[in-house]
Amino acid sequence: MPQSPLTRAVAVLAAGVLAAGGLAGCGAGSSTGKTTVTFMETMSSGTLKSSMEYLTKQFEKQHKDIDVQLVVEPDYPTLRNKETAALAAGKPPTIGQAYSDWAATYAKSQVLVPLDGYAGKADVAALYPGVRSDLYLPSDHKLYMWPFNKSVVIQYYNQKMLSGKGKSAPKTWDEFAATAKAVSGHGTVGVSIDPGTSAGPAGGEAWFEILAAAYGTPVFASDGKPRFTSPAAVQAMTYLADLKKAGALSLGKNYPGQVALGAGKGGFDISSVASYFYNQQAVGGKFPMGTAPLPSGPAGAANQLAGTNIVMFAKASDQEKKAAWTFMKYLSSPDAQAYWASHSGYLPVTPAALPKMADFIAKNPYQKFGADALKTAKADPPYPWVTKAQGELAVAMQSALTGKQTPAAALADAQKQAAAEAKSGE
Amino acid sequence: MATTQAEQRVSPRAVQVGRRPARRARNGPLAVGLTLPALLIFAVFTILPTAYTFVISLFDWNPLNVAQSRFIGAGNYTKLFGHATPSFAASGLTSLYFTAGMVIGGTALSLAIAVLLQRGGALLGAVRVAVFVPHVTPLVATSIVWVWIFNPQFGLANAVLHLFGLSGVDWLDNSATAMPAVLAYSLWHEVGFTVVIFLGGLSVISGELGEAARVDGANRWQEFWYVTWPQLRPVTVFVVTISTISSLQAFTQFFLMTGGGPVHATTTLSFLLYQEAFVFFHTGYAAALAVVLFVVTALFTLLQFRTRRSSSR
Repeated sequence: MPQSPLTRAVAVLAAGVLAAGGLAGCGAGSSTGKTTVTFMETMSSGTLKSSMEYLTKQFEKQHKDIDVQLVVEPDYPTLRNKETAALAAGKPPTIGQAYSDWAATYAKSQVLVPLDGYAGKADVAALYPGVRSDLYLPSDHKLYMWPFNKSVVIQYYNQKMLSGKGKSAPKTWDEFAATAKAVSGHGTVGVSIDPGTSAGPAGGEAWFEILAAAYGTPVFASDGKPRFTSPAAVQAMTYLADLKKAGALSLGKNYPGQVALGAGKGGFDISSVASYFYNQQAVGGKFPMGTAPLPSGPAGAANQLAGTNIVMFAKASDQEKKAAWTFMKYLSSPDAQAYWASHSGYLPVTPAALPKMADFIAKNPYQKFGADALKTAKADPPYPWVTKAQGELAVAMQSALTGKQTPAAALADAQKQAAAEAKSGE
Repeated sequence: MATTQAEQRVSPRAVQVGRRPARRARNGPLAVGLTLPALLIFAVFTILPTAYTFVISLFDWNPLNVAQSRFIGAGNYTKLFGHATPSFAASGLTSLYFTAGMVIGGTALSLAIAVLLQRGGALLGAVRVAVFVPHVTPLVATSIVWVWIFNPQFGLANAVLHLFGLSGVDWLDNSATAMPAVLAYSLWHEVGFTVVIFLGGLSVISGELGEAARVDGANRWQEFWYVTWPQLRPVTVFVVTISTISSLQAFTQFFLMTGGGPVHATTTLSFLLYQEAFVFFHTGYAAALAVVLFVVTALFTLLQFRTRRSSSR
């Protein structure tokens, strides 16, 4: 078809506009003379998003020469994929959220900057001990991470339902089982969990790890070796299988504990402190929602330090790294942490934040006992294979809780897989 | 009319001569220039990535730092036969389970629905639309809806069972029921499309043969089995082939409804590929899986061409 001069002109113009747009999209750096810090993170909804944006704006007001661009991802698996894709393309963000085993993988590939040159001894000492120990990688004992959104697991419960059965928040896991069984029946289940899958362990798997530690042996040794067949692990799995058999535990997807609790059809939700605002929203004032520390086991109290840290990628310029560190340090400052903890549900990473959030703690005691747990809560050891091994545990839970295998047999299979992964170092 | 007669008198040779400019136009620089953008896009987004995937499959690939990648030849391919749980073979069988369910169940169901709906009328027209509508709904959104349908505590599926005095089932959390549950959803989503294809086939087959069979005393079933269906053979082959290919590539419902679980019961080859590539970042191994999946799908496509050719002879 012959083209008219007008059509040609329009086509050329359109191509020009597209090309210009493409070039603009590829442009790097800030035209305002500010140093740009890109932060890839997952605070994508609710109060998490608004709190993160507020803190960033406050930081930019205090540091007029730094522009922080939040690159928000919807969830952690997507975040990991985006960080990996950006690294593969040679254009990583300046900093990003990362679990410690991701950081181990990144460091092994030499794409991270150790933070020893930025963080002073006093900066590190200001953090909770549990938080502090989660920042170093065992490969070279260097500081690769800086704390950001930290949490521990607590119990949420339906106060009306429990008091209706003459029960209160359980103090031991045996009491918990008895209470969960007492409230179950007629469409109500004591507790609902999602173990996750081999592709992504979920909250139920974290609970199993805590139970195993409460029975005496954490599922990972400090050198990362899996200990899934220990008597404590078998006891923990048997505990959950018994609850399931008794109809006091149900499996589900998409935060089933929160959904059941919110619908008035679940006695408990065993979940992170970061679920507080979401659970409150789910309950919607239909009944009083109680919070309490996790019950203890025969070996005492156990909890898991969850949440991510921030890592700095090596590709950034010195100026960007310096600006990024200023932002990271600001995020962990007592003022920022007091605001963050009061609005996001996460715990402050430094005890210096507590006096600045006294009013909030008075109204929300979970923050106090949650923060207390930071003194003893243990993070999973930072080795590249840990998430995959947790996936094996999720599979073992699916198998044991649905009666496909005995707890011991399911854990033996998971141990075999996880040990092979640990051996290969992946 | 005079022009038409003149055209009829034109010799085949003249027609060939007359076509030459068109052929030149198709092969000329202008044609190449016009095709080039499309070819370029196809090369950049399909051909080159496919070739690159094959290259990656020969390496122990580190996507974070390519300099740390190591050439291992066929190492990833030999791993396919000895890799940890879930193995390539086990995932292949899971894919086969799903594919068989979708191809046999989907073809039978859509053929049955098409035969029932082939007569016209406003009501049946509305039913046709109702059957087709699920196919145009987004897989992601409807997969999530079906997760709720299969929720053991609040779901519709268990509510129906309770109505009949039956106890509830952990549909998506039990390795015996997870795949049937995903199949039920997938059939709901896909059958509308194949029903339309069968309806298209039914609208063009000869009604006289059926009439003759009925005159000869054939009942409805015999008419369908011996007269109608044989005439639908090319359509059936097409439906079987596209169902096979789309089932082998199915991913979204597994990702959202089961995450490959429980206990790997729904880890198909496509899901295994995603898991190895984007969860565990075993990029080289995942590339080898992708190459094998590509070959399997290509074989089915070849089979489709051959079967269509032989059925059209």
